[in-house]
Amino acid sequence: MVNVKTILLTLALTGTATAQTTVEFWHSFGDAKRTGWIQARADEFNKANPGIKVVPSYKGSYNDSLQATILAARQNKAPALVQIFEVGSQLALDSGAFQPVSGIKAVDFSDYIKPVINYYTIGGKVNSLPFNSSSPVLYFNQELMKKAGLNPKTPPTTYSGLLKACQKIEAAKLGATCFGMSLNGWFVEQWMAQQGASLLNNGNGRQGRATATNLDSAAAKNIFSFFKTLQANKAFTYTGKLEDWDGSDAIFTNQKTVFHITSTADIGNIRDAAKTSGFTVGVGVLPIADGTKRNGVVIGGASLWVSKSVSKAQAEGALDFALYMTNTKNMADWHKLTGYYPVRQSSIELLRKQGWFTQSPLQLVAFNQLTKTVPSPATAGGLNGAAIQTRKIIEEGIQKVLAGQSVDAAMQETKARADAALNEYNANFK
Amino acid sequence: MARELRGGAVGVGQVGAGRGRGRHGRVWVTHLALIVAILIISAPLLFALIKSTQISSDVLSPKLLPGGAFFDNLSGVWVDAKLGRYMFNSTVLAVSVTVGKTILSLLAALAFVYFRFPLKGLAFTLVLLSLMLPTEVLIIALFDLVSQDLKWADTYAAIIVPFLASATGTFLFRQHFMNIPTSLADAARIDGCGPLLYLTRILIPMSWNTIGALAVIQFVYAWDQYIWPLVILQNDDKQVVQVGLRRLIEVGGQTDWGAVMAGAIVTMIPPLIVFTALQKQFSRGFALTEDK
Amino acid sequence: MLKPAATRAQPTTEAEERAVFRGVALPWAFLLPSLLILAVFVYLPALQTLRLAAYRANVILGTERFVGLANFTELLLSPAYRQVALQTLVFTVLTVSLGLLSALGLAWLASRPIRGANTYRLLLIYPYALSPAIAGTLWLFLFNPEIGVVNQILGSLFDVRPRWLDTPSLAFGLVTLAAIWKGLAYNIVFYLASIQNLPGDVMEAAEIDGASGAQVFWRVAFPLLTPITFFLVFTNIIAALFDSFALTDILTKGGPYTGNAGATTFLVYQLYQDGFVNFKTGAAAAQAALMLALVAFITWMQFRVGERQVHYGA
Repeated sequence: MVNVKTILLTLALTGTATAQTTVEFWHSFGDAKRTGWIQARADEFNKANPGIKVVPSYKGSYNDSLQATILAARQNKAPALVQIFEVGSQLALDSGAFQPVSGIKAVDFSDYIKPVINYYTIGGKVNSLPFNSSSPVLYFNQELMKKAGLNPKTPPTTYSGLLKACQKIEAAKLGATCFGMSLNGWFVEQWMAQQGASLLNNGNGRQGRATATNLDSAAAKNIFSFFKTLQANKAFTYTGKLEDWDGSDAIFTNQKTVFHITSTADIGNIRDAAKTSGFTVGVGVLPIADGTKRNGVVIGGASLWVSKSVSKAQAEGALDFALYMTNTKNMADWHKLTGYYPVRQSSIELLRKQGWFTQSPLQLVAFNQLTKTVPSPATAGGLNGAAIQTRKIIEEGIQKVLAGQSVDAAMQETKARADAALNEYNANFK
Repeated sequence: MARELRGGAVGVGQVGAGRGRGRHGRVWVTHLALIVAILIISAPLLFALIKSTQISSDVLSPKLLPGGAFFDNLSGVWVDAKLGRYMFNSTVLAVSVTVGKTILSLLAALAFVYFRFPLKGLAFTLVLLSLMLPTEVLIIALFDLVSQDLKWADTYAAIIVPFLASATGTFLFRQHFMNIPTSLADAARIDGCGPLLYLTRILIPMSWNTIGALAVIQFVYAWDQYIWPLVILQNDDKQVVQVGLRRLIEVGGQTDWGAVMAGAIVTMIPPLIVFTALQKQFSRGFALTEDK
Repeated sequence: MLKPAATRAQPTTEAEERAVFRGVALPWAFLLPSLLILAVFVYLPALQTLRLAAYRANVILGTERFVGLANFTELLLSPAYRQVALQTLVFTVLTVSLGLLSALGLAWLASRPIRGANTYRLLLIYPYALSPAIAGTLWLFLFNPEIGVVNQILGSLFDVRPRWLDTPSLAFGLVTLAAIWKGLAYNIVFYLASIQNLPGDVMEAAEIDGASGAQVFWRVAFPLLTPITFFLVFTNIIAALFDSFALTDILTKGGPYTGNAGATTFLVYQLYQDGFVNFKTGAAAAQAALMLALVAFITWMQFRVGERQVHYGA
């Protein structure tokens, strides 16, 4: 449907003009699988729209790509379409280099899954189009669970449940640590949201610029204390390097941990790796702090931003391509290929009709967790321009707890450092 | 006896105690020490070599048995990740930078050694100080300059020209020239030979070892370039191999480590070829003296 | 000046002062290409960077506000930055001293008149072809505490599994070791070349006088190798300061966090973090300026000490 509209629009645009509109698309997927998928969608789109030429190219990590975009924008050479990670959203917004996609032309956003579109809606405007999205889930080694006398059908769903399971695993002497994950601020953001607590003040940074973190709250203390208990019980392991996704996945798939938390986008890879390693992986909801209702998860991943300095034809071409790439069918395919959520309700319907969830029941847990999310500023996710830095500060705080520091001291230091980073960022606007 | 030895000792490369003096008994200690050291030094490389032959799911496991997947891994990076194209670009970059640096440093050294001119000290200091300003530190300003003022973004010039001057090269050639007897230059001048002719006819033929040595260092340096090409090149067709390799790693949690290892092994080959080809010059080039 | 060749201690003063060819324009013409490129691509951006150091700037936002020396005072007063500077100092001293000592030792052994010496030499220097990023990746694989080969071996032999990457002292030691390993081949090459060119008559005379192998090394060879050692000290300091970046980035990401900063966060990594991750452009420029001053100081020291201790000429 979008496609037909696109063609009509393109015809109207290029009716008189002979010049082809080039749409540069910078993304951060370096692997052949995902690069190839994006290129194939661009080829299809270009074929259907002779007036537009979408040129996707990989521009390094999210950070490199964001910086390259801004540098290029200053020379008026910005790419029309850029994939930017969620944590850089406020920064991208503040850079003034992009225009809200909802301002380019009327787009019906009602099909997008709520928590996803909420994240990218700021001040009533949809700034960027959701693309690759994920949330964290619990992965578990079913065989090791059974050996420890645990039932893989009822994986732990709370901190205390996990800690209790850890005692059994410790007692069973499996030669594996109970639990492991990559230390990433993203998980802390999730655990705050699950408790319905905002990470930042001023409506999680969505009503006004965030000026302080809520890292001294009871909700935050639950999270830090959880790690303290894990450390005290020797029930936790990781590679020791922060944000080491691959390393932590490898520890789990080599059966050195029983439980593991990481993104839903890894379901396919971990399932395959588990198969070669000789165990069956199970997926459960993200275990959360005790005594709170499950408020849901914050979306992670990246979205597609349209540059401000490009011509109207380029902006529209960019948006049309972004919409084409994220249409119902393509998002369903994207999900099957990568494990990222399809960001559209209609794609989930399509997948259901195709019987995908009976084939891959693991994914169902992830979907339910996402679709059951209660909309609120907490679950929309915190926004701040220094988020890359504050995320690292939070990780370092947890690392200190794991190294033996007291919860209170670590929290106090972490809050002080994160708040200082916010103030320093905000000083740019004085 | 010492007199006879003088002629032969330099360049033979064997010094130290023990020659025919009945200390052979301790030679095995030397062998052992060297073998252990080489094993330790090579361990990470052997590891990479083994891992590059394993299928992806084995690469992250502690398995140390070679597998049979090297060519699968390689074709993955060569075709899908366009490593072949990047290797070509990196070769263009490395060869141009190496040749350019050699020519420019030869000229600069010629000026520093064979001329007396005002502000010579200042000029030399300026060359020297550039050693301390790595691209990483200057990248933002450099980007503005190259893309905005020079409009070189997306050209080979952007990744080649900024690196053509070489402080190291100028030092080494200057050092080498200073060890060439002045009488040679005097004679050349009396014969009516100009400085450029002197450079091409006399100095360069006498400098092959230094040139070869410098070439190895510069080639490896250019081959390892990463952050600058990443930022300045927007067109994928001109991208270099280290960026290509890093893109295999930074794919957001789905790294195909078998492919990365195969890629890493392959990208080591050109520097190794240069290194092996110029090994003699490389070893001698840094130590040439008036004896040669 | 820097004289990488350890040869006879013959005065080169005469060579320094030679002015074989006449002309003032001609030498400048020869220098022009080099100076032009340095001016445009090094000094111009450097001045621009120094200017930025006086601003609170953010490259993404495009904001710039003049703050005078505030960036510098903030840095110098920050406990985090001071910790990073101290760590860099220790790291540099360790990598340079241990790196050069092991390179010298290995080069000396490989220069002995033994069978297969050429093969040994080649095997010692070929890791030079490895890029720092790949080196970091390999070490990361080897030292994964749970599934890395090193801990597999240590675990089965001695039942210990050190946590290499989140124990501050171990992580620091590991990065130091990796940096030494990475620089070893380069240093060995220079030492091999210099040892091979040691004056044979002096060495032989020492032997005839009945000096032992160790005596020949320390009393005769080592002093003759002083010039190359000074050259290598300088290049190794620069390498420790700047080239350690790719290694730490991949191996530890500057962590583990201890005290006020990551235990393996060094000056250049901090600069990269602030400049290219946190986009605090002004603060990063100020750090670049401080590093510049540091290296200028080291260079000056090198020349001062070098002139007194070693004969460099002029």
